[in-house]
Amino acid sequence: MQCRDVEIVLEQEGFAPLPDAAKAHLSECSSCQNLVADLTNIVAAAHLLPAEAEPPAHVWVSLRAQLAAEGLIKTPAEIARHTAPWWQSFAWLFRGRALATAAAGLLLVVAATYQLHKPTAPPTVQLDSFGDTALALNQQEHDLSDMQLASTSSSSPVDSSFRENLHTVDDFIAECEHHLKEEPQDDLAREYLSRAYEQKAELLSAMMDRGRSVN
Amino acid sequence: MSLRTIGRSVLPVFGAGLFFCYASPAQATGQRVEKLFDVAGRPVVMIQAVTSGRIEVKSSKNRQVIVSASRASDKIAVDIEQVGDRIDVTAIILDPSAQPSELESNFLITVPEETELQLRTQTGLIYVEQVMGDMTLQSVAGDVHLKEVSGYIVVRTTGGSLVCTQCAGKLEFRSVSGGAQILQPVLTNVSLFSTSGNILYDGDFIRTGIYTMQSGKGTVEVHFSGTDSFDLHAQTTMGTVDNQASAFLKPDSHGAKHLAGKFSKSLIATVGQGLAKVELSSYSGTIRILKRN
Repeated sequence: MQCRDVEIVLEQEGFAPLPDAAKAHLSECSSCQNLVADLTNIVAAAHLLPAEAEPPAHVWVSLRAQLAAEGLIKTPAEIARHTAPWWQSFAWLFRGRALATAAAGLLLVVAATYQLHKPTAPPTVQLDSFGDTALALNQQEHDLSDMQLASTSSSSPVDSSFRENLHTVDDFIAECEHHLKEEPQDDLAREYLSRAYEQKAELLSAMMDRGRSVN
Repeated sequence: MSLRTIGRSVLPVFGAGLFFCYASPAQATGQRVEKLFDVAGRPVVMIQAVTSGRIEVKSSKNRQVIVSASRASDKIAVDIEQVGDRIDVTAIILDPSAQPSELESNFLITVPEETELQLRTQTGLIYVEQVMGDMTLQSVAGDVHLKEVSGYIVVRTTGGSLVCTQCAGKLEFRSVSGGAQILQPVLTNVSLFSTSGNILYDGDFIRTGIYTMQSGKGTVEVHFSGTDSFDLHAQTTMGTVDNQASAFLKPDSHGAKHLAGKFSKSLIATVGQGLAKVELSSYSGTIRILKRN
């Protein structure tokens, strides 16, 4: 095994137990030993960074411009064709959630506006217009629950409060939706359903922010 | 970009980041710190705490902001700085694996009477007394108690409740399960919304004021006085309207047609000349209307 092969193994599998061939190469190659030492230090340092240490927005803009200039940024289609290495998955995890939050918020606004300005629409259409919002939020909630399973701080009072209140909102949404299936033109119920979705979007967003700032 | 390149370039950046983070001024002061800042105009005090603990803000006649902060352990850091008339206080978690009891920071802030506030915390009480100025107060699970404050007051909580005593100006409250009690207010514009919390408004309705109170599953209760003047519209989808002041409510005397919702129970009435506007609603809770003795 050569140095490049060790790099590939590390990119794809991280510090999971290395194959014997990689271990054998490492024991003899000082360059690769230095690489592993550097990566170990980075991981340790990342764990020590304070929760709120977030670079200013212009850093990302500059970084992106630099990467684009070097031809290192690939389009999403190209990325989808390749298996992302383990060390990229962190960035994509959060980036995906941020986009999902924004998308859910946008859908919510569109759905709420649609509902408020379209009182004579057929009943089935009125309830269905919340469908996209519900779908996006449920997906976000599902992703979040996966993330929380790996969290070490999920037993804190704040996390408990978030979970309980999310449950409250989910119950209320179910109650309103059930009623609207029977009385689709009930404006007051639709208004409460719209507010509940809005609160759910805010809650999920706050929970993700919390996950980012604590873990 | 290869992993080796990243390893070489990122490590120094992380090292520098750690150096700056741990070199913050409040770190060296131990478990308690107090700082005094002179201010010229109307100051803005911002507290951003991702930790738990109490935030108490009181006013004095002095042109100074005094920040007294304590922290339960060195697993959190408190940073306090002044930029002109803005005072920034930040509490952050250094060790996410710490126990909740180690992640507590308490703040006692003394400010000039006319001060703007932006306070954000996770749990623990936010208490503000005798401060005049716009304020935005956010908490996840902590309650918010306000006494004799005035301005444009915005309160957002997830589970925390609001108690607002003798508040003046405009009030906006939103919560999932927190309730709101508005006592002896002098508020001209009120907007209260909770998904499951109870809402109580006990006080006068100012002429030309607009008051909107909504709770999804909780009770919305209003106590008005005999000298009040307001138009009332109360409606609920699945709940009930409990009118215990029917002797004081007249049919709407204005020309505008009020159409009761086809699917909801409504009460439309006027007290006095109907100068203020009061809108109460609940999805499945009770709306209770009473006159104070």
